[in-house]
Amino acid sequence: MELQGSHVLNAPPEQIWEMLMDTDVLARIVPGISRLEKTGENEYKAVADIKMGPVSGSFSGGLTLSDIRENEGYVIHVKQSSKIGNADATIRIDLAPVGQAQTQLTFDGGAKLSGLLARTGNRVLSGVANTLTKQFFENFEKELQTTKQT
Amino acid sequence: MSTNYIGQSVKRLEDKRFITGKGRYTDDIKLPGMTYASFVRSPYAHARVNSIDTSAAKDMPGVVAIFTGDDIASAGIVGVPTGWQVNFKNGDTMKEPPHPLLVPTGSTVKHIGDPVAVIIADSREAAFDASELVEVDWEELPAVVSALKATEEGAPQVHPDAPGNLAFDWEIGNPIDEVNEAIEQSAHVTTLEFVNQRLVPNAIEPRAYIGHYDEVSDKYTLYTSTQNPHLIRLLMCAFVLGIPEHKVRVLGPDVGGGFGSKIYHYTEEALVTWASKQIRRPIKWTETRSEAFMLDAHGRDHISKAEMGFDADGNIKALRIKTYANLGAYLSTFAPAVPTYLHGTLLQGLYTTPKIHLELSAVFTNTVAVDAYRGAGRPEATYLLERLIDLAALEMDRDPIQLRKQNFIPSFDGVEQPGYQTQVALQYDSGNYHGVLDRAVEMLGYEEFRRLQQESSRNGKLIGVGLSTYIEACGIAPSAVVGALGARAGLYESAQVRVQPTGKVSVYTGSHSHGQGHVTTFAQVVADKLGIAMEDIDIIHGDSDAVAFGMGTYGSRSLAVGGSAIVKSIEKVLEKGAKIAAHKLECSADDLEYAEGKWTVKGTDKSISFGDVALTAYVPHVYPQGLEPGLDFSSFYDPANFTYPFGCHIAVVEVDKETGKVKLKRFIAVDDVGNVINPMIVDGQIHGGLAQGIGQALLEEAIYDENGQLTNGSYMDYAMPRADDLPMFEIERQVTPCPHNPLGVKGAGEAGCIGSTPAVVNAVINALWSGGHKVKDIRMPLTSERVWRAMQSSNSTITQS
Repeated sequence: MELQGSHVLNAPPEQIWEMLMDTDVLARIVPGISRLEKTGENEYKAVADIKMGPVSGSFSGGLTLSDIRENEGYVIHVKQSSKIGNADATIRIDLAPVGQAQTQLTFDGGAKLSGLLARTGNRVLSGVANTLTKQFFENFEKELQTTKQT
Repeated sequence: MSTNYIGQSVKRLEDKRFITGKGRYTDDIKLPGMTYASFVRSPYAHARVNSIDTSAAKDMPGVVAIFTGDDIASAGIVGVPTGWQVNFKNGDTMKEPPHPLLVPTGSTVKHIGDPVAVIIADSREAAFDASELVEVDWEELPAVVSALKATEEGAPQVHPDAPGNLAFDWEIGNPIDEVNEAIEQSAHVTTLEFVNQRLVPNAIEPRAYIGHYDEVSDKYTLYTSTQNPHLIRLLMCAFVLGIPEHKVRVLGPDVGGGFGSKIYHYTEEALVTWASKQIRRPIKWTETRSEAFMLDAHGRDHISKAEMGFDADGNIKALRIKTYANLGAYLSTFAPAVPTYLHGTLLQGLYTTPKIHLELSAVFTNTVAVDAYRGAGRPEATYLLERLIDLAALEMDRDPIQLRKQNFIPSFDGVEQPGYQTQVALQYDSGNYHGVLDRAVEMLGYEEFRRLQQESSRNGKLIGVGLSTYIEACGIAPSAVVGALGARAGLYESAQVRVQPTGKVSVYTGSHSHGQGHVTTFAQVVADKLGIAMEDIDIIHGDSDAVAFGMGTYGSRSLAVGGSAIVKSIEKVLEKGAKIAAHKLECSADDLEYAEGKWTVKGTDKSISFGDVALTAYVPHVYPQGLEPGLDFSSFYDPANFTYPFGCHIAVVEVDKETGKVKLKRFIAVDDVGNVINPMIVDGQIHGGLAQGIGQALLEEAIYDENGQLTNGSYMDYAMPRADDLPMFEIERQVTPCPHNPLGVKGAGEAGCIGSTPAVVNAVINALWSGGHKVKDIRMPLTSERVWRAMQSSNSTITQS
């Protein structure tokens, strides 16, 4: 499954970066994630509920960050397992300033699926990827607005 | 009352039961104290099993027992065997790595779905729930899916003791030097590199097994959705579990389709049988549809390069082929035989090709086993030959009909004229190949078609016609021949005809119906030969305790082999009956003739009925001296040769120039399956076969991603042919009787599936050429995307795999 997206957010890269490094914020904006706990330096334990077409499941596993470039981006590696199959994703996130107060957030990567997830979810994967991407940016914008209000 | 049953379209006796939902399949059977099994299966195509933790699962309500691969290994059970041995060219023994019932810790799973543990619980739901709580520590390993890539340097190794992932290499035909020379001397060589894609068998009934160990009798009963109960008993008892055969009864109740996938002895059959003794309760396992996609042995999956050489007059001079056959991760029961003895031996086709050579690599990959699927090897051979000859006609600008006819083997009846000896080991029994082709072309109206083709290209559609002629080796098989070829069993059939005291007849056959209508066809044969009513006959099959022995149903063998065994027993019944009749009528048996269910003294009206003779046999008061009472005979029939059905199929397609969408407009099939007992049932077999063959051409493919995940394992993702994908079939038959079996039948189960696939692809290629797109090949299935792409890149070859 290919995961790609790009969106301009109404905040400077420094603010976006801060949010991306905050586990509580990440847990709120990444679609499906219900819990994110720090387990070590740049290592997290994640629990997620995801529905892919005809199959849905509760995933748990690890999340690690690498290639950390402050205010510019990082590579996120997620390894999740569930009863309906496992997912192994590597996604590169890049931040680029747009004007004074905006940031272009781009992500590019892919997920390797196995088990029932791969067998029955494939037909809807591109649709699922698009929906998740859309949700991610929507959540991000909502989070930004909330931050502004407070 | 007419007793002329052979050749009549008698309605199928079993259909009322089936279409009113009264069939009794394995999953319908409920035994007291029954438990249910669910397997813990690998989500990876290749992974090491580091550890398995079943503690949480054990605590779940309703769980009766949990077994892992370590339990099976410590019970001394190695795994399920294959039924055929094909050795390397240099004489080395085929690689036959163990196929464990459950993969033990420390070992590796080798395809998705490979099981590591089984949960047995009071209900199916409890077993499912508990299986989700088994924690397995998997260490994912690199996987290989393509047979070609698996043989490359540095490819992941499926089995440590099969270097290069080679199960065996193999060759057949004339010496390669002679074939190379003939190719080099050819005026024209047509070359085709192509993929015969992987297919899911899709029987409507998923596999289901019940193992039941009975402590009182110390006997096991296995209920199984199988095509061959005795074969399963033999393999399971002698080669897997080491249980004495007389202590095991295998029952094959109603079975909802097989297409080959239910021939094989699967690990779950042995597991429920073994585990039933451990827990002293019956265990049922019914496959989910998702498991059926993943685990029922797939079909085809060949990658080939084929070259056909012609002289300047269009005569075929040579055929040279290199094929990679994907056998999957483990050798299934018939797997080694499919690309070799059921494929290599058919490469003569209907042509007089003087020099033929096939070089084959049989390869392990991290995919589920590939084995016989309707046609088994013969569709692959036919596809190769018929694509080549049609492409050659296009390349040389010759008429595809004439090109075939000038290369056809001349007609021979196998009685006056001898059988035809091929370059690839077989001797054809009888054939009239021009007959089927001429009739099919007549039905098409070829000249009219050509005119239509020119017209329609002007209005946005391309019209194409594709031919295919085929021959198959059926009536599997003469035991001595297949024994020499590496079969680990004989392929005869048994039949017992038991005449009851009242003249009713019970027939026990080792053939096994899973939709073919044996109960009707066999009863027609018996009623016709004995001159009694069909209602007075019962056909019993699928019970290893009732039937003496049986090799089951596959390879279009039931009527040719099983039916012939029945005829042999009927002849014995009539011979003994004549002795009893002669005694009662006070004449010599030579003075009697048998017709319409009675023996009559020739030239008189003195007669005695079949029923009276039967009663006399069981109440032998007035009886020939020295003759045993009773009227009950068993026979084993081992065929003298394979049977060789053949035919010609023609497809007419319309291709949308804008979208590449293919519409099958007409499909003509003229098949010669020898004598026909029930034309309606044969029509049904042809129809079903055509749908499957056309499905391969246009719709179906099992697709693994590069990690070995099956990406289309559901009916939402795997395209099966539907009624609206198919036109009304135009089918006719020619009859060239088989000269070596008593019924003169050749077999009809696979014909439709063998001939139809290349006809459809040839038609699409023909349509594209008529529009100026000179493509050599489009990879099956011919989706509109692939056809559209082919039209965009005319003059080039599309053969990516």
